[in-house]
Amino acid sequence: MSTDVSSYDPIPVDVAVAEPTRPRLLLQGTSLASAAIVMGFMGLIAVYVAERAEFLAREERWLPDGVSIPLTQPNFMGLTLCLSVITIWWTVQAVRNDDRGHAFVGYLLSLLFAFAFLAQTAYLLTLMELQILVEPRAVLFFAIIGLHMALMVVAMVFAVVMLFRTLGGEYSSRNYEGVLSAALFWTMTVALYGVLWYAIYITK
Amino acid sequence: MAAVPQDFLRVVHSAIGAVCPPVLDPTVARMALTETRPETGALDSTVAAAAPTTIDGVLGTGEHKTIGRVYLGGGVIGLIGALVVGVIAVFMSNNLDNLGADQTDMLANLWSLGRDLALFGGLVPIFVGLAIYLVPLQVGAPSLAFARGAAASLWTWMLGTGLLVLAYVLNGGPGGLRKDSVVLWAAALAMMVGALVWAMICISVTVLGARTQGMTLERVPLTTWAFFVFSLVGVLSLPILMGELLLAFLRIRFLHVPIAESASLTTIMDGQYLAPAVYWLGIPVLGMAVDIIGVHSERPAIYHRSIMAAIGVFGILTYGADIVGLASVRTGGVDFDNGFFVGGMIAVIVPVLVTLVLAGQSLRSGVFRLRTALVGVLLAGLLLLLATTVSLLGLIEPIMRLLDDASPGSVDLSQTLILNGTRFHEGIRALLLGSALLAVIGALHHWATKIWGRQLSEPLGLLSLLATAGGSVVWATGEILAGFDDQPWLPARSTDDFSAGLGALGLVGAVVLAVAAVSLGVNMAISLVSSKPAGSSSSPWSGVTLEWATSSPPPVGNFPAPPIVASATPLLDELMFDGEEPTNEISTEGAAASVTQGDTA
Repeated sequence: MSTDVSSYDPIPVDVAVAEPTRPRLLLQGTSLASAAIVMGFMGLIAVYVAERAEFLAREERWLPDGVSIPLTQPNFMGLTLCLSVITIWWTVQAVRNDDRGHAFVGYLLSLLFAFAFLAQTAYLLTLMELQILVEPRAVLFFAIIGLHMALMVVAMVFAVVMLFRTLGGEYSSRNYEGVLSAALFWTMTVALYGVLWYAIYITK
Repeated sequence: MAAVPQDFLRVVHSAIGAVCPPVLDPTVARMALTETRPETGALDSTVAAAAPTTIDGVLGTGEHKTIGRVYLGGGVIGLIGALVVGVIAVFMSNNLDNLGADQTDMLANLWSLGRDLALFGGLVPIFVGLAIYLVPLQVGAPSLAFARGAAASLWTWMLGTGLLVLAYVLNGGPGGLRKDSVVLWAAALAMMVGALVWAMICISVTVLGARTQGMTLERVPLTTWAFFVFSLVGVLSLPILMGELLLAFLRIRFLHVPIAESASLTTIMDGQYLAPAVYWLGIPVLGMAVDIIGVHSERPAIYHRSIMAAIGVFGILTYGADIVGLASVRTGGVDFDNGFFVGGMIAVIVPVLVTLVLAGQSLRSGVFRLRTALVGVLLAGLLLLLATTVSLLGLIEPIMRLLDDASPGSVDLSQTLILNGTRFHEGIRALLLGSALLAVIGALHHWATKIWGRQLSEPLGLLSLLATAGGSVVWATGEILAGFDDQPWLPARSTDDFSAGLGALGLVGAVVLAVAAVSLGVNMAISLVSSKPAGSSSSPWSGVTLEWATSSPPPVGNFPAPPIVASATPLLDELMFDGEEPTNEISTEGAAASVTQGDTA
């Protein structure tokens, strides 16, 4: 049975069908990859917490003899990363405003903060004097801290790629999905540092 | 800046054209879904490169259908290898008295290799391959999201699988005695798992973001939905396993795990291989079962959303099991005394039962035909239900312990059936393996035309089904009875007469299951090398989902133009309204309305 719908259809028939909304695939992919990374990282933290609890239950000292974790460096590393979150989101806002100059500055500052974080982490590891070849527990420390450093490097590479794409004109106020994705990944990495900071550097 | 001479550009263009044949539209030909779409272009313009026909084309392809086919083929080969290795391991374990020390070590390695290959070298890649091939077609997308990433995952997985086998050959693997090889095992397995996780991200993003117009998430076909849930569970649980493997890698590499104790590394994988974590494989089984039953009974599932919810709940429960299982690895084994774990194992039956009952509605009101696809998924569903039900026997002891904890002395634990830590779990695994293989056989027969352009042999398919169902049930019976006999997990085994009888039963089942997998491979090979029969249909069934709205196999870009859908069964909508009133249900904007539907119409 045919029904005449033209009498109540508010959209004229000659109007073209709307294009589907932008898929935002990169953002979705970054979100899922970030979720996977968070699960893997939290798994390692869970192993760390469980092994530490086993040591403490046996009334043994968790940190090996001669190893100490100073708090100054981890706190400043956290502060550095917090600043980098501000600058990376400043970049997103700049691209949304078609302000490539500020976007460029924001990216450079974020990368500078990240580089400073990596340098501080390397320095902290030397201060800790944890020897992976001698001490089995050191494997856990190096696995977690090393994985986080690797994630930071990935976040930096992601940001650099998006920086070049932004400067090349690919991203603007009409489409800033890549910039947003890089910022999301960056923020996730910083959030993981928060977990690491508490689980390893604070509780020791 | 001086303008580039047009003649020079023409020369360069023709030179490139000689190497890379032109495809549909030179401006968008190499564009993947991840790249920025032209604002005015439709999804069909984001066509990947032309379908590859040469080896170098396959190696460099970003075409989801080619990637899916290679994943499928590799997975089937891996599964056959796993079952053959498993048969040898079962045979050796039945003859422990005659084995020397070296052969006992080899037995442990074979057993471990068999289960590594069965899961991450066989069944999971097969499901991933099917998803990579089918999901874009079912959601009306021209390609897979991050198609080049999916290609990278394929080759990484393949390399990882090769390295894994090499590690075992070089006396690696958990229980191996060569440090470098054990390190290689951890790295190779992490590589395989990481590659599969990446492929699952591609599949999930395709479902989330590349659906065609009108295809809301609740309208996606149940197969796609099941693959989506399967992928999400994998994405959120497998990285934990990768973390464990990273630790194992570092600990062996820096000699903190003495190589003589490397067998302890088997516990890393226990969380993945035991029920209910391994129920994860049942998620796609359920989705494919409902879709295929609906098509072959000619009554698509009417409780679409309810089935989606049931599959989602099943996924959540298996996810919880994955997490608890992996976390309990730290305590040296799976912790069956966890109350949440016990509750989850009991509850997991409900969504399986609900899904199968709702799918059964199609069969009750429709017709039953003796087809491999239909029988395969029916048996797969029943075996899954059987596995989830029988596994409840393993909960008797934990429940008794929980009751005893709540009220000390109220339960006589010495009279309790204790199955945990015995071969009972191997039996459950055999049932789940059989269920997944049955679903794979059914699915490949159902979508063979879509994947290879020709059907698989029905008689051979039915024989494969018979062997798979029979083999897995016989194998499982042997293992479950061995569990009642309090025999420990493989590779250790008691050697009295009763045990020998159960061992022989398990061996027969394993051999039959291996033969079934080989027959599936042979069936696929015969179909691939044979010429397409004249007059064969490109759409042999009355499929109602979008993959049947295009030719078989589909062209590059899948659809002539983006389809527009208005329900979960777009082809059924067209059949209902065809000739009566203008339809926009699967109108594909102009030329695309002439989508090839074969027998569907």
